[in-house]
Amino acid sequence: MCKIIAASIAVGTFFAFADPSLAVDRDGGAQLAAMCASCHRLDGGDDGIPTILGMSPELLTRAMLSYRSRERPSHIMRAIALSLSDEEIATVARYLAALSRQVRP
Amino acid sequence: MKSRTRREFGCLTGAMVLAGLGPRLAAGEAKAKVVVVGGGIGGATAAKYLAASARTIEVTLVEPKPRYTTCFFSNLYLAGLCSLESLTHGYETLAQRYGINVIHDSVTAVDPVGKTVGLKNGPKLPYDRVVVAPGIAFNYEALAGYDEAATQIIPHAWNAGPQTQLLRRQLENMEDGGVFVLVAPPNPFRCPPAPYERASLVAYYFKQHKPHSRILILDAKDSFNAQDLFLDAWERHYRGMIEWLPAQFTGGIKAIDVKERSVKTASETFKAAVANIIPPQMAGQFAQQNGLVDQSGWCPIDPITFESKLQPGIHVVGDASSAGDMPKSAFVANSQAKACAFAITAALTTSERQPPHLFNTCYTFLSPDDAVSNAVSFKPAAGTIKIIDNFVSQVQESVETRHRTAREAQSWYAAFTRDTFG
Ligand SMILES: Cc1cc2nc3c(=O)[nH]c(=O)nc-3n(C[C@H](O)[C@H](O)[C@H](O)COP(=O)(O)OP(=O)(O)OC[C@H]3O[C@@H](n4cnc5c(N)ncnc54)[C@H](O)[C@@H]3O)c2cc1C
Repeated sequence: MCKIIAASIAVGTFFAFADPSLAVDRDGGAQLAAMCASCHRLDGGDDGIPTILGMSPELLTRAMLSYRSRERPSHIMRAIALSLSDEEIATVARYLAALSRQVRP
Repeated sequence: MKSRTRREFGCLTGAMVLAGLGPRLAAGEAKAKVVVVGGGIGGATAAKYLAASARTIEVTLVEPKPRYTTCFFSNLYLAGLCSLESLTHGYETLAQRYGINVIHDSVTAVDPVGKTVGLKNGPKLPYDRVVVAPGIAFNYEALAGYDEAATQIIPHAWNAGPQTQLLRRQLENMEDGGVFVLVAPPNPFRCPPAPYERASLVAYYFKQHKPHSRILILDAKDSFNAQDLFLDAWERHYRGMIEWLPAQFTGGIKAIDVKERSVKTASETFKAAVANIIPPQMAGQFAQQNGLVDQSGWCPIDPITFESKLQPGIHVVGDASSAGDMPKSAFVANSQAKACAFAITAALTTSERQPPHLFNTCYTFLSPDDAVSNAVSFKPAAGTIKIIDNFVSQVQESVETRHRTAREAQSWYAAFTRDTFG
């Protein structure tokens, strides 16, 4: 357990400094991702609602925009996509992608 | 080397997601203290997301019960579709993985001057901020003949656990051909669609095991949430089994006769084989006793930080809060708790506060494989919280869509309880 926490703190710190663009919106990305966690597991697990952790930022951004435009149906995702600005979508997509680069074996 | 199991992998990444949230603490700096009152959905989520910045904030969660049973999905238990155990969650992960100091006790009072909260069986806890999430209390005074003692004979089952079990036992012991009388409360109350979901799933149970039985809903209101979806489903799945009588028809609920197991309305008295009385509601007792509620019976809050408008330094989330258009649901409690946790973190550290995003998503079962959902987004505006967008399932949806929604609801339960307790 201790090792795991130590590892995560180390990665967290790395995460904050590794990419200057991420460092700027580090809090914003994490706070937005917290919102996703009410339905999507953010540990790579998948209980039936698909994981959003392994997605490239481009793919996730495209998916969000197609929910917003109704091209992809899902009124839940539509409500989320409509409430986020383009910039926020980009931020959370970048955050989740960077996170998955760190956690995927 | 030992290969990493799925569980350990989850553990590592769970902590990592949250590591991104935590502002750094300079060496030697004292930790700020936040005490969370209530380990339900609002309290557990707030504690977890506050502890994400564990290096700057010490989080104590006070909850009397060792384990929490979710109200959401408890109607599936009443229908015999899941066990109560499968809806029950412990606090071990919050303590072990996130370092939250979990105390199983009741908070008695908060002293905003001395900045301490009192425990029933322990020493006072000092705080910099308090998050209050005590859920609901029942306004028994508004319902003649029904009180706390009566709940042991006629359950409300509006807090999940022993009450839900009692109601299930009564349904099991009921003779085929009996009438199940459900009294639905006036607005606002915990989970607007839930009384009607309960009627639907009890009807499902009757259809399987007691097909001559009937359900009578005596409503304190004249209309209810997602009424068209329910009426359509009752016609399709349970024709002739469920009767809904609005207040304008009965003249309103006047009294409960616990011994007779009957409900008196202005026009008629209805006798039940099994009764389920859902009383009018207000903010949890703790909020009532600590100057956090206004005349409405609920706690007014700042729409961005969830800080009480009546007691500075004390934040209220979940059902107890009076949050404009936001309904009283678990999803809302979870959403508010995150916004509140981030606002407190910003106030106690140097981290930046982002504008909150507030949502509600509700899955409602009409039968085990026919479920509907709605999704609403909200925004702080003009001192309160307003709906921005509202999307709801439609009456004409295909059978496949409803199946898919039911499956999605099950997946949501797993992810959501993990987000709150794991
Ligand atoms: C039948 C039913 C179905 C539902 N279905 C859904 C659904 O599908 N989706 C949905 O989103 N919502 C649903 N809900 C609503 C949901 O259960 C509530 O909105 C949610 O539990 C509110 O969370 P909370 O934290 O405010 O209160 P609670 O979850 O009730 O938690 C309050 C906690 O505070 C503790 N507490 C109280 N006083 C003190 C004190 N003095 N000291 C310490 N601890 C204290 C209590 O022990 C309790 O654990 C449903 C509700 C019902 C009744």
